[in-house]
Amino acid sequence: MSTIEFIGLTKQYKDLKAVDNLTAKVEAGRITGFLGPNGAGKSTSLRCLLGLATASSGEALIEGKPYHQLAEPLKRVGAVLDSQGFNAALTAKQNLLVICAAAGIDDSRVLPLLELVELGHAVNKRTKGYSLGMKQRLALAAALLGDPDILVLDEPANGLDPIGIAWLREFLRNLANQGKTILVSSHQLAELQHTVDDVIIVNHGKLIAAGNAKEIMAGQSLEEAFLRLIGVAA
Amino acid sequence: MNLVKAELRKLFYQRSTYGLILGTIALAILGTAFSPYAMTRIGKGLTMPLSSSDVVDGVYSKSLGGYIFVLIIGVLIMAGEFHHHTAVATFLAQPKRSRVLLAKLGVAAVVGALINVLATWVAIATGAYALSLFKNVAAPHDFIWGNYTAAAAVTGAVLAIVGVAIGTLVRNQNAAVTGSLVWLMVVDRILAVIWTEIGKYLPTGLITAMLNIHLNVKDQGSGLGINTADYLDPVPAALLLLAYGIGFAVLAMFSTLRRDID
Ligand SMILES: Nc1ncnc2c1ncn2[C@@H]1O[C@H](COP(=O)(O)OP(=O)(O)OP(=O)(O)O)[C@@H](O)[C@H]1O
Ligand SMILES: [Mg+2]
Repeated sequence: MSTIEFIGLTKQYKDLKAVDNLTAKVEAGRITGFLGPNGAGKSTSLRCLLGLATASSGEALIEGKPYHQLAEPLKRVGAVLDSQGFNAALTAKQNLLVICAAAGIDDSRVLPLLELVELGHAVNKRTKGYSLGMKQRLALAAALLGDPDILVLDEPANGLDPIGIAWLREFLRNLANQGKTILVSSHQLAELQHTVDDVIIVNHGKLIAAGNAKEIMAGQSLEEAFLRLIGVAA
Repeated sequence: MNLVKAELRKLFYQRSTYGLILGTIALAILGTAFSPYAMTRIGKGLTMPLSSSDVVDGVYSKSLGGYIFVLIIGVLIMAGEFHHHTAVATFLAQPKRSRVLLAKLGVAAVVGALINVLATWVAIATGAYALSLFKNVAAPHDFIWGNYTAAAAVTGAVLAIVGVAIGTLVRNQNAAVTGSLVWLMVVDRILAVIWTEIGKYLPTGLITAMLNIHLNVKDQGSGLGINTADYLDPVPAALLLLAYGIGFAVLAMFSTLRRDID
């Protein structure tokens, strides 16, 4: 049984197939890059995986179950989604305390995690005053609250500056070394080139390639490999 | 229980909640503080002397006047999730959406009832003081204390429930707040006066009915105005108001709550 599995996942919006019969697996204990250009269907696939959107057909499973059937889901899966927000009127700490209460997670997790994502200085600041990068770090802290084994991260590098991106790479590496399974999406193919073990590449909702990153790159950069795979000469 | 705790945290970490509570109390106080003056200056041959117990009951009935803010608290409990995009985190923590909705409805009902009762009591005390400034004021009927407290609790609970349901049906926070304000403050009130046959089954008419007051300021010629004899009895009125709350909540649960969250 795979940690995460997409089985013929299809999501139709009116006359657009945002995700088109996607079948792919994510192996445990590895970092898998979910890659594709803007509008490729990455976020939509992840929203189906996490039960926020209903698939038109097919399914997306976590340890063999749909998300809504997981008992205590935040203790199994942590997620950062591009559409996610925080209550601007609440401080970072309060925002996380709300999630702790809802998920039955001990409040004592909050402060160490805010330190871990380097927001220790802004714990009691209303998130209204947070920069994009700070919100992204806060979202990472939220994903880690339940100490889950699986992380699903949609464009976690969004809004981070180069230092932040370097920090994120290191951060993800550390989590993977602790044995966590990480599915991380990006439209910037180069960004995660050296971070991911495996890749799932999509374009126009369809799977282009999936498997070991090094094998798929075949000595090229991810970008070159992507262009080769979609048939545009690199 | 986790979800209830989460909802209480959301509510009481927000400063706006305290503002809305103060608003509920302020509006109720304004009603009881000024209606003794208004009642004695109604003009046009309609007289409402404070020497009548029914009229004094009417003054105290203004103590329920703050319920509009309770409705807004309810609306924000759900629409705020979409406004701030915290719905994602909420439904990730508990993907069984109807449980989240039930927790919100429960918290809204209890908190809404408590706020409205508190505002009503503060406003009754204010009304007593305002009336003490007048001469020849009758005592109110004894039943109003129990009636008004019960009516405040039912009104607060139901309007907060309806608010949560509206916030679920209309995810746009501004549209939901504006829409419910316009309905309750304008449409409902106009209907209560110009089309009593319909108005008596709408929230404003039902709330008035629950108070069990006896006022007749209806203009016989035009048929405009209020004669509380036209209204339902308090208990059926309370039950119908509750039915509205449940109806809206069920509608929300089986419609928009199933839509995708983005
Ligand atoms: N709620 C929606 N209604 C209609 N169309 C949608 C909706 N959400 C997404 N789409 C469309 O589905 C397609 C896939 O969008 P999606 O957000 O999944 O892409 P993505 O791979 O995450 O892109 P990006 O890298 O820009 O985040 C796009 O064409 C988008 O316009
Ligand atoms: Mg996306």
